[in-house]
Amino acid sequence: MMLGIATETATAATLTDAVPARISMRDLEFFYGANRALKGINLDLPERQITGMIGPSGCGKSTLLRVLNRMYDLYPGQRATGQVWMDGVNILDDGIELNYLRSRVGMVFQKPTPFAMSIYNNIAFGVRLHESLGKAAMDERVEWSLTRAALWDEAKDRLNSSALGLSGGQQQRLCIARTIAVRPEVILFDEPTSALDPISTLKIEELLDELKKDFTIAIVTHNMQQAARCADQVAFFYLGELVEVGAAAQIFTAPTQKRTQEYITGRFG
Amino acid sequence: MTDTPQHIVKSYEQELNRLRDLLTQMGGIVESQVAACTDAVVERDGDAANRAIELDPKVDALEREAEQFIIRLLALRQPMAGDLRAIVAALKCAGDLERIGDYAANVAKRSIVLAQFNMPYSMGGIAHMCQLVQENLKSIIDAVGENNVELAVEVWRSDARIDEIYNALFRELITYMMEDPRNITPCAHLLFIAKNLERIGDHATNIAETIYYSVTGEPLLEGRPKGDNSAYAVVRPPEEDTP
Amino acid sequence: MARTLRSRRRQFTNIAALGASTLATVFGLFWLVWILLTTVINGYQALNLKLITQMTPPPGSDGGLLNAIAGSGIMIAVAVLLGAPIGIMAGTHLAEFGKKNALAELIRFVNDILLSAPSIVIGLFVYELVVRQSGHFSGWAGAVSLGFILLPVVVRTTDETMRLVPTQLREAALALGAPKWKMTLSVLYPAARTGILTGLLLGVARISGETAPLLFTALNNQYWSADLAEPMANIPVVIFQFALAPYDAWHALAWAGALLMTMFVLIVSVGARFLLRERNG
Repeated sequence: MMLGIATETATAATLTDAVPARISMRDLEFFYGANRALKGINLDLPERQITGMIGPSGCGKSTLLRVLNRMYDLYPGQRATGQVWMDGVNILDDGIELNYLRSRVGMVFQKPTPFAMSIYNNIAFGVRLHESLGKAAMDERVEWSLTRAALWDEAKDRLNSSALGLSGGQQQRLCIARTIAVRPEVILFDEPTSALDPISTLKIEELLDELKKDFTIAIVTHNMQQAARCADQVAFFYLGELVEVGAAAQIFTAPTQKRTQEYITGRFG
Repeated sequence: MTDTPQHIVKSYEQELNRLRDLLTQMGGIVESQVAACTDAVVERDGDAANRAIELDPKVDALEREAEQFIIRLLALRQPMAGDLRAIVAALKCAGDLERIGDYAANVAKRSIVLAQFNMPYSMGGIAHMCQLVQENLKSIIDAVGENNVELAVEVWRSDARIDEIYNALFRELITYMMEDPRNITPCAHLLFIAKNLERIGDHATNIAETIYYSVTGEPLLEGRPKGDNSAYAVVRPPEEDTP
Repeated sequence: MARTLRSRRRQFTNIAALGASTLATVFGLFWLVWILLTTVINGYQALNLKLITQMTPPPGSDGGLLNAIAGSGIMIAVAVLLGAPIGIMAGTHLAEFGKKNALAELIRFVNDILLSAPSIVIGLFVYELVVRQSGHFSGWAGAVSLGFILLPVVVRTTDETMRLVPTQLREAALALGAPKWKMTLSVLYPAARTGILTGLLLGVARISGETAPLLFTALNNQYWSADLAEPMANIPVVIFQFALAPYDAWHALAWAGALLMTMFVLIVSVGARFLLRERNG
């Protein structure tokens, strides 16, 4: 006789193994000047699954996200070495067209970041950067992305009013809608619910579950329960190292590494 | 997990310790219950039988307390990983211990009936079984208290010996019953007593498996030879002399 | 006992400090109210329809301030057209592209000096630059000197408001695949709009009262002139000249001009506050 959760572990582990990787990181290192913030990371983001990244502040999990859409390029002195493979291309290569990459790899931030324009234009802004759609097609895209982001019912009567008038949770869903409107393959979430109340948080989590049917998702979170609720695969980072990665059920019931166990049970340091 | 550092939240650590205390307390009572019922059977001690029976409600109450405490812990602490395994394991152990208490009480009740009969045959087999079950129970309760995997595996393995004795007793008692129908009542009771003792041993192995998973995170999958063959046992009456 | 003594002491100190600061406030407000009251009382008497329908009169006769109002309006408008785009672009450069490099720091420093430079110095500078070169006073010269005063105000407020826009908003736009110029135009400007506009309004309020630079550049014009190549009438210089002259009618007009100007600055400043509050609220 064994505990029921153990059976779950076994199935989930095999599930993750069977799914092909959308992004593969190999020997990824990251430097803030001379300071090495990521050390020899080898990690795959399985296609159409949610990878949760957990670890204490400063462990490198957010840095990792910013490598995947090359956001770090904005800041001089930050550089990455190693390889990050996506569709047979190493996205760390110098020749990569950044704006195109960012249309393939979208990002949602910690705080809602609505632009000071109408709800409609918030969504159309990103789409116009990459496609030229007619009015009807654009209307359709706006409705599609707002619907996918579970905001359509709340926003459909006020598409032309300012996005700044939405509540925090609505603003965050607008940002998600804006990101998926560009139709990326991968969406990165950097602590997307840390500024939201519990109900708004649950709505976003439900949304993540919906979105993973179409998108590969990576989410950085400080909330372990959130990683447990949302993620298929969980990666634990500590001091710039990837300590352990595995199916969520395995990580949260029977982690193999002592540091993982200590961190997720709240016995750190 | 003796080498893991303390919880950052001290009250959580205290609650986990309290849970362990509850279990060892339960274990202690169940141990004395089994000891008492052994005396009741082997020494035909009626007082011991009553003690074993009277202790049972106490074990039941402790199980309820542990169960409520665990549900509270799950809801309020949302335990993860090792803590989660330990807490769920405690829930299962409490259940196993409660069952052991029930079996011990049942053995004690039967011993009172048994005391009314003359026992023309040796009680050596039952006494030996009682001793083994008691040893296993003591070990497993120690293992619960210390999260001792080696001890748990030892208990788990040694259950086969209890099963062997049970099988032997089964055949022996049936033979007695066939020899003389007057033996049927005491032997039937003895058979149930042996069965109960065997069940106690099984619950001890359940606890061993639970501890193993709780501590290592892996199920104890190794095939354990299931020793109770009485389900297939056929004892034929001796050939009657043809007149 | 000691306790009540100490608490009494505290109460006394409290009252004394409160009293002193109230007095200081009243002292400051007293002069402001006096100035405003004098302006309103004296200017109110000359306030009539002729003020905005007739030209500045020759000595001894009736008239209005139409040419001066128009001249001030035109020169302020041209100054804004000259100073605002350059100022906004410079501010954008400082905030977005030259965040911490040495050049940007230098520009900020120079800009701060320009911000606090006496306006008469700027007037002299434009006199040398424009008036001496073209050989005569002109509206252009006046507008340019006002533009120079407006410029650092706009640079400073643009720089500061753009730096107040959260980094995450920039990253959010770039994360959608927007190029930097597009991000600046479509995301940052709307986000910083009210701040930039406030800076602009404060700059307008500042230049609309400037007299010294106009004395050296636009001078004055007794007649109607909408030609920027000619000397141009304007309210501050008219006030200056009429107030110094010995005619009562001119005095009255000077008061009226002062009232008009004060009201204008007041409205613009209140407008700027209003915009700021809207953004913060």
